[in-house]
Amino acid sequence: MLKLNFLVPFIVALCAFSSCQNNTSEDQPDLLAQSWEEITDSTAGTTVNFMMWQGSPEINNYINNYVVPSVKEKYNIDLKISGGQGAEIVQLIMSEKQADVNRGQVDIVWINGETFFQLNQIKGLWGPFVKKLPNSEYIDFNDPYIETDFQQPVNGMEAPWSISQFAMVYDSAKVAYPPKNLQELEAYVKEHPGTFTISNDFSGMTLLKCFLAEISGSPKGLNGPFSEEKYEKLSDQLWDYINRIKPYFWKQGTTFPKEATKMDQMFANGELWLGYGYGEGGIEDKVLQGLFPTSTRVYAWDNGTIRNANYLGIPYNSGNKAGALQVINFLLSPEAQFKKMDPEGMNANTILTVEKLPKDWKEKFESVPDRKYGVKMADLDGKDIPEPAPEYMIRLYEEFRTEVIEK
Amino acid sequence: MKRKRSTISIAFFILVGVVPFAAAFIYALLYSFGIVGVVNTGFTTQFWETVITSGEFFKSFAYSALIAALSVIISVSTALWLTLKFRKELDKKFLSYIIYLPLAIPGVVAAFFTYQLLSKSGFFSRIAYQFGWIQEARFFPDLVNDQMAIGIIITFITVVVPFFLLLFLNVYKNERIQELSELSASLGAKPNQVLWRISLPVILHKTWVLIVLYFIFLLGAYEIPLILGQESPQMLSVLIIRELKQYDLSKISEGYVAAVIYTVTVSVAAVILFSKRKRIAHEA
Amino acid sequence: MKLSWKPYILSLLVILIIFPFVYLVLLSFASDWQFPNLLPSYFGSRNWQMVVGSENGLLGSLTLSIIISLSVATISTLSGFILSRTVSYHSKKHTLTLLTYFPYILAPVVFGACLSYFFLKIGLFGTATGVVLAQFMIAFPYALIFFSSFWGNRTKSFENLVSTLGGSQWQSFSKVLFPMAGGMLLICFFQTFLISWFEYGLTSIIGVGKVQTLTIKVFLFIKESNFFFGALSCCLLIFPPVLLLYINKKYVFNKLI
Repeated sequence: MLKLNFLVPFIVALCAFSSCQNNTSEDQPDLLAQSWEEITDSTAGTTVNFMMWQGSPEINNYINNYVVPSVKEKYNIDLKISGGQGAEIVQLIMSEKQADVNRGQVDIVWINGETFFQLNQIKGLWGPFVKKLPNSEYIDFNDPYIETDFQQPVNGMEAPWSISQFAMVYDSAKVAYPPKNLQELEAYVKEHPGTFTISNDFSGMTLLKCFLAEISGSPKGLNGPFSEEKYEKLSDQLWDYINRIKPYFWKQGTTFPKEATKMDQMFANGELWLGYGYGEGGIEDKVLQGLFPTSTRVYAWDNGTIRNANYLGIPYNSGNKAGALQVINFLLSPEAQFKKMDPEGMNANTILTVEKLPKDWKEKFESVPDRKYGVKMADLDGKDIPEPAPEYMIRLYEEFRTEVIEK
Repeated sequence: MKRKRSTISIAFFILVGVVPFAAAFIYALLYSFGIVGVVNTGFTTQFWETVITSGEFFKSFAYSALIAALSVIISVSTALWLTLKFRKELDKKFLSYIIYLPLAIPGVVAAFFTYQLLSKSGFFSRIAYQFGWIQEARFFPDLVNDQMAIGIIITFITVVVPFFLLLFLNVYKNERIQELSELSASLGAKPNQVLWRISLPVILHKTWVLIVLYFIFLLGAYEIPLILGQESPQMLSVLIIRELKQYDLSKISEGYVAAVIYTVTVSVAAVILFSKRKRIAHEA
Repeated sequence: MKLSWKPYILSLLVILIIFPFVYLVLLSFASDWQFPNLLPSYFGSRNWQMVVGSENGLLGSLTLSIIISLSVATISTLSGFILSRTVSYHSKKHTLTLLTYFPYILAPVVFGACLSYFFLKIGLFGTATGVVLAQFMIAFPYALIFFSSFWGNRTKSFENLVSTLGGSQWQSFSKVLFPMAGGMLLICFFQTFLISWFEYGLTSIIGVGKVQTLTIKVFLFIKESNFFFGALSCCLLIFPPVLLLYINKKYVFNKLI
């Protein structure tokens, strides 16, 4: 009897767990068949959950102090931000799929190619929705950097949000001739040991992709679908190279920083002399804030660096797709994109084609002053590499750990 | 009626105290063998083989155990020394309040604070610079995110010492060690003998279960090594969570393998500890 | 004359204890603090004004943390008290207590990761209720173990007395047991409040970054290298417990063994 007593609640509870189906599936009408007016008719008073990378104070400030109040004021939408990126987003949506959750945790996700690839693998995105957005008329979908994400056609499944190029950064007061290729980098770290490292995050992997392209012998070396054979050959050389020079890295290459923000701090206090970043190096705001010395400069890598767009997607099980569309459309509006360009703020390149804009906006965009310390993306034209297929990134992540960090 | 009520409470106890643990464990076990999980295709022992042969997990286990053991030993010794030397002073009004203050500091804050003090651009590095001991930030010694886990150990110690200090002071009072010591001294014991034969054994006998429990807590600590640790080897919880959240979806099961091994180890420790504790309770 | 080095050690101890509090408060008032300056170039109330003024949600986090921790402490203290009676008087007492030890000593973050599937299933993932439930799961075993020493022969004989005198079980709880356990209830409430208040890993997993308690905020600021706001959130995190300690220090620790 006692044993039974013991077991019954256990079984009951297990059944409760598995039968409780969370099926609050509010039937959302087929939005894609509706007009924009019909879609946005009912979004007032709703909540939209936006999951994004929250590692940058400028971006957080833009979102929290501009976007959130603006959508509240304009559309009466409560925009709630939560932290999460890349694999975390994929895993969340994947687990929701596994648990048959029909009304998911998030309505908008900020992603790029490798997350897009993984979300497509599990059919985690809803769409195609981009052409539904009125503001998409200002976007040039013929631009390969916009319509192709990590060698994959976008097909309206994610809306481009901004575009930028990865670039190298150095402190001109300390380094006269920054290295522009792998050979020079090797000579550089030997001359200035401890002043360079690679972060074990998205930015660091982007740098490794640039290196991999250089080893392949051409900026276009990694174009096309993923090739195991090519990857094996090139990555072997890459790991050999890095392991050979890592004793001259920060902390003798025994450990690597987890986040690029940490590298920024180290660049700021003079531990590192060489850096890198998205947004054409991402130095402008940091110099203006006094974090980086005014001697900080951006420069082009001989073989070129990655240029890419980043995107906004809507998960397949979003509970408020209409609201998500409304918010994304706002994020693509000239107003929001102009604010995003603010040199003292996020300082991001607009995704919109300025020529397509109404005249008054066109003038405003053209009047944005040039960067004082950084460069324009156009200055790096000819030194740009399109993102290689997402598998390269996924493999580099894995093997940077097994082949370099753990060795 | 009375019987029924007791059955309901036992059922409720099992629902909140046992079912979640069992469910989590079974789920992790199934996942580790590839039976559940979106990208998994069915039963396989491949993930177990990978984890066991790669050695990264066991390295992390040994690393965590070493850090936890070192931290507990240093903390307990410090706390014992403070207790035996300063118990009278620490009983006074002001100090007796002050020594409770560290309990208000959680791991996250302790780690943040350590980082602010000991990093290469931290407070001590600035002082060293002002005194001209270092010329640049990078010459300051590695104290956080370092190979030797110095930052983690220092933080563990600062978090754990206050707890043990309060514990030992309490035991000292409750177990009437003062009286015992005076008694044995009057019977001719030397101060050293009193220390080694009376005070220490009584305190440690009364508290060793908690000491081992703290070792287990530190073994599974998360926030502090997350902020102050390095990329490899990582402490257990950090490693497990990283593997569960990694990019390569096909390898998530390896994280569950690690979680299962860790859970089993800790549970076995609990069984052993608890049965010992029961014995002590009976003796007392 | 005995060498008096003790005061020095004691002063050092006091300084070591007080220093973090002072340093974090000062850091929360600072801004623009470049290496190698020993002092920040800005010192004032700007950061604190931002707490009230800006959309960074720190005030919201403070409120949320308070609500979550009070809920967890109340539920786990009461249920722990009542259920520990059942467990302690049960014939399988030792087995049952052993079972509570498992979730108690497991790393909460690992426990949470393995549980997240079930939270998704019952729709509590990413909600404050889910976080309360998850934290309750680790605070409850603590409460249960904590109260197990209360239920002994002495308590039992009191209960029997009430029953002999014709009192109901409810009366025995409300008139005898609760008053008897007063101090312990308070300590347990305080401790479970702290377990919840300090919890990070489990909260980050079950809350999916959407339930932003103060510990989650501290991490967020560390991630974006915003140390001054980090220090500010640390202050919000440590001063409420200091206050609680001040109020009932003597209750906090008497009964841990």
